[in-house]
Amino acid sequence: MYGAPPLRRLSLLLLLIAAGFALPLVLPQYFLYLGNFLMTFAVLALGLDLLLGWAGQFAFAHIAFFGIGVYATALLQARLGIPFIFGMPMAAMLAGFIGLLIGLPATRLRTVYLALATFAFAEAAQWVFNSWDKVTGGPDGLRIAAPDVFGYKLGTDPTAFPVVTIILAIMIAAAMYLTTSKFGRAMCAIRDSEHVAAASGINVRGTKAWAFAISAVYAGVAGGMYTLFQSFVNPDVFSFHQIVLLLSMIVVGGLGSLPGVLIGVGLLGLLPEIMRTSMRGLLVWQEFVYGVILILAMMFMPRGIWGFVRAWRGQ
Amino acid sequence: MSPLLLQGIAGGIVSGCVYALIALSLVIVYKSSDVINFAGGELVMIGGYLGMFALLWLGLPYLLIFPFGALVIFVVGALFDRVVLTKVAGRSVHGQSVLVAMIIATVGLSYMLKGIVRVIPYTEEVRRLPPISSGTPIFVGPVVLQHQDIAIVLAAIAIMAALWAFFSFTMAGKALRATSQNPRAAALVGIPVRTMSMTAWGLAAALAGVSGILLAPKLLITPDMGVIVILALAAAIIGGFVSLPGCVAGGILLGVVQNMIGVYVSSRAISLAPFLVIMVVLLLRPQGLFAGRAVAKKV
Repeated sequence: MYGAPPLRRLSLLLLLIAAGFALPLVLPQYFLYLGNFLMTFAVLALGLDLLLGWAGQFAFAHIAFFGIGVYATALLQARLGIPFIFGMPMAAMLAGFIGLLIGLPATRLRTVYLALATFAFAEAAQWVFNSWDKVTGGPDGLRIAAPDVFGYKLGTDPTAFPVVTIILAIMIAAAMYLTTSKFGRAMCAIRDSEHVAAASGINVRGTKAWAFAISAVYAGVAGGMYTLFQSFVNPDVFSFHQIVLLLSMIVVGGLGSLPGVLIGVGLLGLLPEIMRTSMRGLLVWQEFVYGVILILAMMFMPRGIWGFVRAWRGQ
Repeated sequence: MSPLLLQGIAGGIVSGCVYALIALSLVIVYKSSDVINFAGGELVMIGGYLGMFALLWLGLPYLLIFPFGALVIFVVGALFDRVVLTKVAGRSVHGQSVLVAMIIATVGLSYMLKGIVRVIPYTEEVRRLPPISSGTPIFVGPVVLQHQDIAIVLAAIAIMAALWAFFSFTMAGKALRATSQNPRAAALVGIPVRTMSMTAWGLAAALAGVSGILLAPKLLITPDMGVIVILALAAAIIGGFVSLPGCVAGGILLGVVQNMIGVYVSSRAISLAPFLVIMVVLLLRPQGLFAGRAVAKKV
């Protein structure tokens, strides 16, 4: 499917935005918090999927760019008084720029080595978040002031919800355009075979580096979204555990497919909540169950839930 | 040289030996299945707990807990390869995503192992094993050597020598090497490739487990002690990630460098060292510090 994405799909996004304005009127605060959280993770996962599912680059650095986005947005506002509406794009650009800097050398590496190098980068970034006390507040964390969007004070779950939804809709639309563009096809070609891609005139290194940068921009935007509804951040938010969670979301949902990624985020994001509310006694088993789900999904649903659904519908 | 420096080097060699053992486990897995084993650290952790279980509840003598732990973890590793990885790898989706799926499966294993340990009640109490051997420390010039540390180094050397003999002289060891170099050709000359991959996983897991038992008297045994795998990763990368002797050299080098940073820079910077090492080595010398030329990609 190439060319502009079909209008039918884009109009679904309008529905999403409408829901973003309507739901805070009816849902209790806790659900709105979950919604904000899941939507932030959805943007993060979309970015990682562009890199992993489309360009085929197995990288672990994503969570570091998320951290850069959160700290940059929060600090631009707190220290320099730059409002969210400018601060978030600036933070996203910063994340993207660092992504490009990392991506240019890193994409020379083959799969497993790329994974290791980016893993090390993510851990080093977390060390910086932990140690650069003067800027990030170190392990004690950083208070995030309530952001201001066109004169409206956000910072609580109901007030942030519509804005978070709008950003998610924009990022989904951007992913739709990206994946159906020439650039999207170039990424797929590289994923399927670098040699064939190079032979057909695709700039392999450039495309990989840009995929890296764009994916980092997504993470930076997600970082901005995080500051809309959270009033506090500390380096634990950017631990290795989170990148594993993200990877599992897109792989369980379905690599390289937009609906799959959203399904994965919803499912694995809600799993701990479901266990907490309906299976209290099983809560201690959470980590174990999580591992079992990952393994079973890899064994029996090679293309994720969405691939499973598609195969089933096709028959 | 100052006594502080010498003591640092001695301490670095001790911890480096353990890093090297875990790194060997990671590299054996990588060579057999192209996968980074993200459950490596958790296998180390399970080893520590098994050692404690055997010593305190089964009442086995200290020397027997090593074969006991190795055996149990060998089975865990071999089963994981047989039941999970064979199934995951057997899918016909193109190249890279299979690798990603296999790596995620190892992450799944790491969560399962950690999860099991957290559910078992007595893990809430943090323990450590008694030292393998104790007594008055030995003085070599200005350097103080604990019995415990000497025992760790000797055990590590013994294990490495056994591995070397296994890979050099036994049929199974040679078959493992052949399978790693070229699985198709190995299958053609009648090597049971699947059994070999199981053996490699079992062996690697057992190595990690034994390292866990060796570490248990020095570190606290906790469900999170698996983070030590990061140091092993760095050690393996210094050695080029495909070379077993490289792992040993890399581990010891890393242990010594860490202690030097601790002495001369700051104790806080120690934890950053492995990550910097990984990034710098991968970007500047992806073939490792000791290899002369880039290693040819296997077919």
